[in-house]
Amino acid sequence: MNFKVRVAEVSWLTQEVVSVWVEAPDVTGKTKPGQFFGVKVNKRGDLLLRRPLSVADVRGDFLRFIFKVVGKGTVELSRTKPGDGWDVLGPLGKPAPIFKGRDVVVCGGGVGAAPLLFLTRVLKEKNRVNVILGAKTASELILVNDFRRLKVKVILATDDGSAGEKGFVTQPAMRAIKTLLKPVVFACGPRSMLKFLMENVDQVPVWGFLEERMGCGVGICYCCAVERREGGYLRLCKDGPVVFLNEVRL
Amino acid sequence: MKGEVVVGGVRFANPVLAASGTFGYGVEFKGIANRLGGIVTKGVTLEERAGNPPPRIAEVPSGIVNSVGLENPGLIKFKRQILPKLKKIKTRILVNVAGFEVDEFIRLAEGLEEENIDGLELNLSCPNVSEGGAVFGQTPQKVEEITRAVRKRTKKLLVVKLTANFVDPRETAKAAEAAGADAVTVINTLYGLILDDNGRPFLGGRTGGISGPAIKPFALFCVDRVAAAVKIPVIGCGGIISGRDAFDFLCAGARLVQVGSANLTAPNGALRVLQELKIIISEKRIKGWESIVGTARRG
Repeated sequence: MNFKVRVAEVSWLTQEVVSVWVEAPDVTGKTKPGQFFGVKVNKRGDLLLRRPLSVADVRGDFLRFIFKVVGKGTVELSRTKPGDGWDVLGPLGKPAPIFKGRDVVVCGGGVGAAPLLFLTRVLKEKNRVNVILGAKTASELILVNDFRRLKVKVILATDDGSAGEKGFVTQPAMRAIKTLLKPVVFACGPRSMLKFLMENVDQVPVWGFLEERMGCGVGICYCCAVERREGGYLRLCKDGPVVFLNEVRL
Repeated sequence: MKGEVVVGGVRFANPVLAASGTFGYGVEFKGIANRLGGIVTKGVTLEERAGNPPPRIAEVPSGIVNSVGLENPGLIKFKRQILPKLKKIKTRILVNVAGFEVDEFIRLAEGLEEENIDGLELNLSCPNVSEGGAVFGQTPQKVEEITRAVRKRTKKLLVVKLTANFVDPRETAKAAEAAGADAVTVINTLYGLILDDNGRPFLGGRTGGISGPAIKPFALFCVDRVAAAVKIPVIGCGGIISGRDAFDFLCAGARLVQVGSANLTAPNGALRVLQELKIIISEKRIKGWESIVGTARRG
């Protein structure tokens, strides 16, 4: 159920993206890549719903959350300071599948790089991982050094060419996918990016980190619906947020 | 303190229930369900329903607007897949049923009559389906017709969940009472429209139902009026997220309360309301829930 964690460190990665480390010794061991926490925004009650924040990294007793400031809730959360207490619910969601002995392409667009860091840390133990990060411009690229410290291959792309190659992140991603034997792809970023990857790879499994407006976070309200190809909906909070993209309509 | 509340011959261990649609089918959090007075399941329809396209939820100041659209597996799968699990829950279980024709309510009631549940809550007020839904609940004649038809087919506790959208719930409550309902739930969500940055409807179902503290004063007003208009028990619902809220609804005339949106803030939302309510009752040295019901209208 929900419990309190202490904010340990707050830093801004870009003008809009915040990194928050929290001390949560009771759950770090149980938290797996792909999972998220529901974070209560304030005590006043005018913002009722928890914000689902994916776990960007786990180190020792600490969890790292990285989020983009987009609305009232994330503005409020971004004002947090070390020492603050956060009311969190989690870990929630189904963990990402962890492969062994595969070539993995990890593709992150913008703030989508965040949950891929934790995933890469775990995957690189038993796989060869290629990380491709993209953003509109160099100042919006996040976590580049964090990924490099994992000693994995990191390729960068920016729309304006200010860092790495010029163009969308999907270009180097597709190149990497085509040169590898039986690769597995993990992607997190705008839906257009996920859609492009899914439609342009052939026989390559792509797992995407999806986002949808979420209610309870635990599967009881049926609000975070994502359309399944075979009909009906899956509940992103319970059946995801990491989803085999062939199963859903984007 | 006497903890039980009796409604329509059914004993509830305490007056706090989880509201339909906010607690799944109750099987997901059995430990919490067992400590509540009861749970009302997510709405069940005769046929399977996929529900509305996303987005299905939006937040407004102190409230939520949802447009789930009654996603559910339908009666047959509900009986086969979910009811066996529900039997393991040791609390009162009301199954919320929704139909689009009178005949569907009848078939739902008949289909559940032999099952090990405590009662039915007729959903005559869901604002998130284009066919039927709230329209039934806006006509006292229709409320009476459906309630009477179901009453003939069930001996179980029969609760009618009323809308306050474009209708005086006193009139529909009286209709439900006349037709043999054991209790009425007041109120379901209120109509809401959310627009995106381009001025287009944000929710996939176009419109939704508003819940949460934003609607509490109106829900409380409705409970107060309905409780004065009918003799059958009123189950208060609408924006209860604290023990104080629940206390207010009891004082306004509710015999039981349902907690909805608070379950979305954490699965133990209703349980927290109950715990807080118990503290208030204890601090005020009140003996038994019943003694505060309707105090708002006493001289």
